Amino acid sequence: MDKLERLLNLISTLLETTRPLSADELRSRVPGYPDNKASFRRAFERDKDDLREMGVPLLLEPVEGVDPPVDGYRIDRARYYLRDPGFEPDELAALHLAATAVRVDGVEGADALWKLGGVVEAEGEEPALDGAMASLPTDPGLPSLYQACAERRTATFTYNDEVRTVEPQRVGYQRGHWYLTGWDRARDAERNFRLDRISGAVTTGEPRSFEPGHATAVLPDEPWQLGEGDEVVARLLVDADHAAWAARQLGDDVAVESRDDGSAVFDIAVTNWPAFRSFVLTFLDHAEVLAPPELRTQMIAWLREVAS
Amino acid sequence: MTRPAASARVARMLSLVPWVAAQGSASVDEICQRFEIDENQLLRDLDTVSMVGLYPYTPDVLVELFVEDGRVYMILPRAFDRPLSLTPEQGLALVAAGSTLLATPGADTSGPLARGLAKLSVALTGRGGDEEAASIDIRFGAVSASVLDVLRDALRSHRQVAIDYYAYGRDELTHRVVDPYRVSTDQGQWYLSAHCHLADGDRLFRIDRIRAADLLDTTYEPPADIVADGVFSPSGDEPRVQIDLGSDARWVLEQYPIEHVTELADGRSRVTIIITARPWLERLLLRLGQAAVVVDGPADLQSAGVDAARRVLARYAVADGAA
Repeated sequence: MDKLERLLNLISTLLETTRPLSADELRSRVPGYPDNKASFRRAFERDKDDLREMGVPLLLEPVEGVDPPVDGYRIDRARYYLRDPGFEPDELAALHLAATAVRVDGVEGADALWKLGGVVEAEGEEPALDGAMASLPTDPGLPSLYQACAERRTATFTYNDEVRTVEPQRVGYQRGHWYLTGWDRARDAERNFRLDRISGAVTTGEPRSFEPGHATAVLPDEPWQLGEGDEVVARLLVDADHAAWAARQLGDDVAVESRDDGSAVFDIAVTNWPAFRSFVLTFLDHAEVLAPPELRTQMIAWLREVAS
Repeated sequence: MTRPAASARVARMLSLVPWVAAQGSASVDEICQRFEIDENQLLRDLDTVSMVGLYPYTPDVLVELFVEDGRVYMILPRAFDRPLSLTPEQGLALVAAGSTLLATPGADTSGPLARGLAKLSVALTGRGGDEEAASIDIRFGAVSASVLDVLRDALRSHRQVAIDYYAYGRDELTHRVVDPYRVSTDQGQWYLSAHCHLADGDRLFRIDRIRAADLLDTTYEPPADIVADGVFSPSGDEPRVQIDLGSDARWVLEQYPIEHVTELADGRSRVTIIITARPWLERLLLRLGQAAVVVDGPADLQSAGVDAARRVLARYAVADGAA
């Protein structure tokens, strides 16, 4: 018998059952399994792996009233079915275009689009990213943290050698890295965590385990704002021939004062001094920290160490 | 595809079958197009699906299905009336892809993509009502929308572009004419692959370092194959330096082209790096500070960090105690 048929029969049986079914029951109810007990076990194990890989929420529960105790299987119906997003054709076409233009490492796009009703070509739509391709890396913790943000589950993980419990607000991608913005309960403050610096697994709590609205949850634009320090406003002087580039890197939100010689002075909020120092040093001798005095002093001390 | 064929076929059928059943009937052509399957395979798989039922397999719980005049008609038992939900990875990948396009300068933030994305995140997360849908905040390096527009125009019309480009490694501003091939992103930055007439070769440019771009009237012939795909392609005779990196400077190993690595004691490592431009090495050494020590290389490059630090210190009008 075709394995496709056996898997579909297995899924429909597990979806429709009102109580967990033991492996022996499944063997007699689902056609297509080998008669030999050991061969059946192997085939059944492979089928379970296939189901899990497809995202079928398979539950393992004790079968009631059996002695000695036996575990049985069923599919969690509440989690199996896709909630219908109610897409209009143009919306589905736009998402299809997005999935084609943007690759996310390690995720195959086709299955997801099939589930949403298949591939629909955009009619006369001009692609937003004409001829362009984007690719995003993934991180092992990312899917569960995204879900945690969405369902307001707390997240617990080890970061900088410390166990943190966070009310996750938002995940974001910036300059090649994934971040989580959330409310750190022990610190009673908003923090940003770089996902690749989380060590070990992330565990998440129950849905709706905290109230929304704690934090602003906007990922700062710049690495020097992704720190845990107190904010200081640094004044940075950049020479004329580098001022335009600095202005673009710093963005529109940063106050700038242009001088007659074409140079510019920027007022920049800094919470992560090493990241800011690295940024300033990319200008070599075309830029200078003017204030506050303590940042200027630290920069001089750093340069002296390199110069000696 | 690494997955065995049977489970890929199951995944497709778990989506295809509910979709056809929801329509009542659909043409074979449309099904093939939507679900990226050829007609023979579709008919074979539908044949299999028609055998699927529920213990004890009485006719009332079988899939009712027939194909007539190029159309598929289907009535389903309850189990398969809706598709399988997205896995967290799939949901995330779709939301991330959509958010990336929406974050592109010039994207329509109230168009079909934005609407589709909002519906998708509600469906994924069960949010609704006045709660804000969970979004993903995607930000690539800041690029000017006007530069990106010029490049898009050029890609469409095959016209050459004159750019003012800041060559970061050499710390100099250059003016060049390029034939744009492709705009792409990598590691959170936007890049332009193009043929550069100044360098007389294919090059990759970081778009945030293009200070100005002018569309020219001259056209070019786009090549069949686009070669420029790497940021860095050493010619072989560039100078090398050896640097000892402390354990907190290990990120250098992941971010820069390292020719050779030897692990030393205490988590330190000795690396050989190809140097194409001195300012690049100066920046690296200034940034790393005490975490990097140059141990070997041409005399001129060995002193790069010290020289640069002294130049910057001179700006701060501070007497260099070590000099």
